[in-house]
Amino acid sequence: MARLTIDGSAIEVADGTSLFDACRLARGEALPHFCYHPDLSIAGVCRLCQVEVEGMPKLTIACNTTVREGMVVQTRSEKVRKASQQILEMHLINHPVDCPICDQAGECGLQNQYMDYGLYDSQVPQSEKVLKAKAQVIGPEVILDKERCVLCSRCVRFCNEVTKTGELGIFNRGDRAEIGVAPGRQLDNAYSVNTVDICPVGALTSRDFRFQKRVWMLKSTDSVCPGCATGCNVRVDHEAGRIYRLKPRRNAKVNGSWMCDEGRLTYKAVHAVDRLTEPLWHGQVVAWAEVKNHLARVGGGGFALVIGSAHQSLEELWLLRQVAGTAATSGGLAGSDTGKGDDILLSADRTPNRGGLAVAGLAEHSATELAALIRAARGAILVHGGDPAAAPEVAAALAGRDDVVYLGTHLGVTARAAALVLPGAMWAEKAGVFVNRQGRLQPFAQAVARPGNAREDWRVLVEMLPAGAPAAPTSLKALRAGAGAALAPTLDLDRLPQDGALPGGEA
Amino acid sequence: MRSWRACAAASCRGPTPTGKGWTELNHNGVVGPSGPKLLSARFGRTDGHRLAVYEKEGGYQALRRVLGGMQPAEVQAVVKESGLRGRGGAGFPTGTKWGFVPQAAEQVYFFVNADESEPGTFKDRFLLDYDPHQTIEGTIISCFAVRASLGFIYIRGEFGWLIDRVQKAVDECYAAGYLGKNILGSGYNLDLIVHKGAGAYICGEETGLINSVEGRKGQPSIKPPFPAVSGFLKKPTIVNNVESVASVPWIIMNGAAAYRAFGTEKSPGTKLFSVSGPVKRPGVYEIPLGMPFRTFFNDVLGGMADGEELKAVIVGGSSVPVLPADEIMNCNLDYESLGSAGTMLGSGGMIIIPKRCDMVELIQVLMHFYWDESCGQCTPCREGTGWLHRLVKKLRRGEGTPEDLERIEHVCSGMAGLTICPLSDAAVMPMRSFLAKFRGEFEALIQDQTPVAAESRWPRGEQE
Repeated sequence: MARLTIDGSAIEVADGTSLFDACRLARGEALPHFCYHPDLSIAGVCRLCQVEVEGMPKLTIACNTTVREGMVVQTRSEKVRKASQQILEMHLINHPVDCPICDQAGECGLQNQYMDYGLYDSQVPQSEKVLKAKAQVIGPEVILDKERCVLCSRCVRFCNEVTKTGELGIFNRGDRAEIGVAPGRQLDNAYSVNTVDICPVGALTSRDFRFQKRVWMLKSTDSVCPGCATGCNVRVDHEAGRIYRLKPRRNAKVNGSWMCDEGRLTYKAVHAVDRLTEPLWHGQVVAWAEVKNHLARVGGGGFALVIGSAHQSLEELWLLRQVAGTAATSGGLAGSDTGKGDDILLSADRTPNRGGLAVAGLAEHSATELAALIRAARGAILVHGGDPAAAPEVAAALAGRDDVVYLGTHLGVTARAAALVLPGAMWAEKAGVFVNRQGRLQPFAQAVARPGNAREDWRVLVEMLPAGAPAAPTSLKALRAGAGAALAPTLDLDRLPQDGALPGGEA
Repeated sequence: MRSWRACAAASCRGPTPTGKGWTELNHNGVVGPSGPKLLSARFGRTDGHRLAVYEKEGGYQALRRVLGGMQPAEVQAVVKESGLRGRGGAGFPTGTKWGFVPQAAEQVYFFVNADESEPGTFKDRFLLDYDPHQTIEGTIISCFAVRASLGFIYIRGEFGWLIDRVQKAVDECYAAGYLGKNILGSGYNLDLIVHKGAGAYICGEETGLINSVEGRKGQPSIKPPFPAVSGFLKKPTIVNNVESVASVPWIIMNGAAAYRAFGTEKSPGTKLFSVSGPVKRPGVYEIPLGMPFRTFFNDVLGGMADGEELKAVIVGGSSVPVLPADEIMNCNLDYESLGSAGTMLGSGGMIIIPKRCDMVELIQVLMHFYWDESCGQCTPCREGTGWLHRLVKKLRRGEGTPEDLERIEHVCSGMAGLTICPLSDAAVMPMRSFLAKFRGEFEALIQDQTPVAAESRWPRGEQE
């Protein structure tokens, strides 16, 4: 441990901590910065995080300084304040003042830091600014505005260090230096939109989100990406019931600061046109009040086979297990539940909760095995989530049956094959826990309302509990208590840390 | 008033490439017979670059002595004891720098920095041109001292003829057994590569140079780590100036005390000065450090050329503060005396400025240079050099206001000492000193906004 004094307060941090991090702890907020990023190498080029260290003749940048025992540091002295102001002024002299039309306005590092530390009287006439190219498409997901770039090199370092694809570079020198794609290349990797996230100004913008919404109108909800088994921690940005984007939320143990482009677009399914919004009986809309009768007609009060899905929450899977009672169960998987993985984040397993299937005791079956189970089922079948009938063998086995109940979210093959279809909630419309491929239990919260008359799945499942089952939970808290006691007794599912927890504790 | 460029071209008679493989001497060479010739013994000769000549005059005896039984630590100790300071500009003690290489390092690299490009400085190319073997011998000894098995001589790409000359000298060394495996039967192996830089001022900064050789954009890296600990390919690397390295053989042969007999306590030894401007005898001179400027100016340079009057001197390459004639006349040419006068010895690239020179035009030339050469990495330098250049251009267009002079000072204060490498300071030091010492010329330009003042002597394209 090293003891040092920052702005007059004593602080103790681990040896090897960067002064930047120590200052953040001591100040309660980060030093002004553009180029520093916790998951990238140190560039030290924005020169904004300068601090005064006793005994050093010049100001020093905190990001490239390691703490030393007995260090005395000033982060708010007159000298530091003046340097920050001047460097911000340098950042701004050739930066266009197009904040009103810049899509980054509201979350622009330059704008925000200038409000905190800047000078307010501009010394540079607009007419003297160095102009560069605007709104260039540089890849399928990203647009570049060269003159807004402050050359922090974060995006270049990201492509060199994280994806190792090296599409971006800084070309030319002096104030003619500009960011760009290498000749003949495009910014076209599976993680390209992370460059937008880490761009501290509006130089890189996402083609999907650009001009869809002013950022200050968005509300954010912590969540977990449902796109694959990695379970990247995300933030759901939404307004008036509509999701506009997913942004990665830093979790050093899972996804660092990143997420893949594919995962980013998973929100689109929430607002898809084929969402199920009303209960359907043989294709006809019915009221929830009638559902109980229809259930009685198909299952006579019980199921012969219950098929879960790795897309549902751990709590729901536990409850589904209770619904099944003594019936056969399967954690059915569809062909679309796998894809191509990589060694960065993306898992070949494109379901968010396969770990939960195992924890809840639902065995997985291949499409052929599942078809056999369906054929063998003498009685009603409940399919919860996913779209197992997307596999032709499963679809063939379901064909002609009129005793299938489907609780799900989209009008897929399985929904079409079911006699009774019950509209459930997408991950962003409910709270729950996913178990990722590390076995980490990660909570997600409800961000937006469910469409139409869709209901939280657990409330629907409760209606299907067989007679003699343990008392039905009447709240999410009670559900979590039950599921937690049964599946993860070391953890409190209702109070999982935001970065998740391993049932056996952290390694 | 003649343009600065015309005056520089007419009076700075440096060596010119002849296309014959050597450089013809058209200057007055070194100080007279009584002066020390530690480095300049073969300056001005047409055969001094040949191995046979160098050997005949005592060349490679220092190497033989070193490989004949000295330990690397002994060599380091002699150089440290000699007080030799880096001749690239910063003046850091050479032996001390070598001592920063971790003892346990398995692979060490050594670079000779011949990316000489500070305006006004042309001494290293003289050394390599007239006497490449002296530098090569110094390089081999230096490599041995830091236990490097691979060395580089990094030469600025524009010096095409020089690259050929040094490469030929290196080839001669391989043939003679001074390079390669088991040098002179000592068991020491060393390969030396002549590396051609692509030509950027900041490739002469040691981390910029290393990045350039590694194939990346030639721009400085953040320190720490320092190259002596983690440099080329993340291995300990020493980067030394040509003149520093070339001084090593003499120090080995004659000892640290003999070297200290020249110069002053804190600035031992001799130093090469490259002198341009309208003096009677511009050129490259070797003098003991500590010589009064007045003596150097009057006796060695012969004073101003006919009809010229001394106005100011940039003593150590264009990045150091300028001193007006009356101030420089009281200085001695050493690190400490020039330091206390508010300037620096730097690279010894001495620019003599005549009375007729327009100081605002001259600073515009310099600001153009530093703006053009800023690597663009650190914000204060990237934006500040451009801003200064634009402000000076504005003054010269006859559009300046008194506030612009305050603004220049404001921009300088936002640049000084705030960047990874010293290029930002290299622009600020002349800018500030020109404004401080010759403020009257700036103010006159603001008051006298006539078409004459506004007319640029520079072709339009070169100003952008």
